[in-house]
Amino acid sequence: MEFNPFSSVKRLMKEAAELRDPTEHYHAQPLEDNLFEWHFSVRGPPDSDFDGGVYHGRIVLPPEYPMKPPSIILLTPNGRFEVGKKICLSISGHHPETWQPSWSIRTALIAIIGFMPTKGEGAIGSLDYTPEERKALAKKSQDFCCEACGCSMRSALLPLTSNSNPSAEDRQAKELAQQINFKWRGKPPAEPGSLLTCFSLCLLPQAGAEEPQTRDDRSPTRPLSPRQRRAQQHSRQPPRAGREPAASRAAFAPPPRHNESHAGSAVLILVLTLALAALIFRRIYLANEYKFNYDL
Amino acid sequence: MAEEKQESSQGDIEGVNCLAYDEAIIAQQDKIQQEIANTNPLVSDKQDLSVLQKEYAEDDAVYQLKLKDLYKKYAYIRKTRPDGNCFYRAFGFAHLESLLEDSKELQKFKAVAAKSKHDLVNEGFTEFTIEDFHNTFMDLIEVCEKQPSLQELLNSFNDQNMSDYVVVYLRLLTSGYLQREHGFFEHFIEGGRTIKEFCQQEVEPMSKESDHIHIIALAKALNVSILVEYMDRGEGGTVNHHVFPEGGDPRIFLLYRPGHYDILYK
Repeated sequence: MEFNPFSSVKRLMKEAAELRDPTEHYHAQPLEDNLFEWHFSVRGPPDSDFDGGVYHGRIVLPPEYPMKPPSIILLTPNGRFEVGKKICLSISGHHPETWQPSWSIRTALIAIIGFMPTKGEGAIGSLDYTPEERKALAKKSQDFCCEACGCSMRSALLPLTSNSNPSAEDRQAKELAQQINFKWRGKPPAEPGSLLTCFSLCLLPQAGAEEPQTRDDRSPTRPLSPRQRRAQQHSRQPPRAGREPAASRAAFAPPPRHNESHAGSAVLILVLTLALAALIFRRIYLANEYKFNYDL
Repeated sequence: MAEEKQESSQGDIEGVNCLAYDEAIIAQQDKIQQEIANTNPLVSDKQDLSVLQKEYAEDDAVYQLKLKDLYKKYAYIRKTRPDGNCFYRAFGFAHLESLLEDSKELQKFKAVAAKSKHDLVNEGFTEFTIEDFHNTFMDLIEVCEKQPSLQELLNSFNDQNMSDYVVVYLRLLTSGYLQREHGFFEHFIEGGRTIKEFCQQEVEPMSKESDHIHIIALAKALNVSILVEYMDRGEGGTVNHHVFPEGGDPRIFLLYRPGHYDILYK
């Protein structure tokens, strides 16, 4: 399939212009030398454990953008999303909730903000740090300076003005998250596909190794460097956008431990098989609906 | 420090495995997509309807009977790539093709299309994200005004980029109409979803297949009448057709076989 990058370039230039000036809640701009890699900063929602935090990350756009979704990687430790890992906003057409070409980077930023206060609930790639830890990280996040784009979290966003009233953006973020979250709760695991499940997507086999480290040995004041460096290493890999959908099923299983990874993959295979069977059956049923006539 | 290094390298190995696993699945999906793409142009040349004969076993009585019935009414077929966007692509091409030689209807259609963006923006769609799709759609209509050869139109529809942009815009129009008329359409939505949810899940994302509700909405949004011939394993020996919206005078004829739409010609 051939894609003409011209249309994505045009679109991204437009988005860059629209997002040029920082708002109180978010800011995102492409790197100087690469229109397909952006850095963003988002403010933690005021009425949450992330209050006072400003978080930084990367957005990698596929050449097919906006036909395919961006990938998002957080660089600031936050206690909600793992650092340095791709969190896919939504992927292939197998998902009930999928990327829409009329969404934009702004939509993605609002979705991230909206998702911060939602529960990780053991989804792979999500972190359920205690409120105290999150608050400590929120405070500390202001010290973060990004080497790649040279911006400091202290000055990345417009200062909050009268913050007694939640702004329209806050409400929008919450609505988006609730809407998506609602679907996630309301659907059986065989039909996942919310943003939330996708967030954990590409982390599947890694999770076993990462989990003990992040759960047990973590410390809020731990130096960023090793992970940070690794995140940077990862970031140098060519951008990879639409991750495969299948693995997201696992997001509903409890995070596999190191020694359980075989059992974990067996469960995954079983769940996938059942899901496929259900879908195929449904397809067949729909295709032959006329046969199921009730007035026998 | 050494420990950290080891930990990090182990993480990298796991990372490689993760990547290999992901890549393998992505590669396989790409390969399947590529095979479909290699064997099926987005919109094919016009072919004699008898090409369908080969697709069904000779002793497949149900389909052979229905094919005979189809031959009575139509002579040619133009196939579309089975990529989940076939309805929109088939509709888009067939409609513009039918307007190539009818400049009066083309002008009417252009006016409807030009106004449609405004309606979408009023409904809350973000102007700057939808305008590229709208512009591409309008560009194509303007190309048609210059009465290009059929081949030029076909080339445009086989340019992945342009073709997909047109599909996105037709999806947006469908979504816009469904949401505008939600009071009517919400009775037909399964699974307790709102119209907005349905549009976000089943209409706007690419590769989502179309059903009656999508066809009615798009036909009404653009004020175009569509006839769909349904050929499936049902009894009766004849193909059944539906006109969307009911009572219209269709100028586009589509063939539906479970999961896929192609274009028919008399």
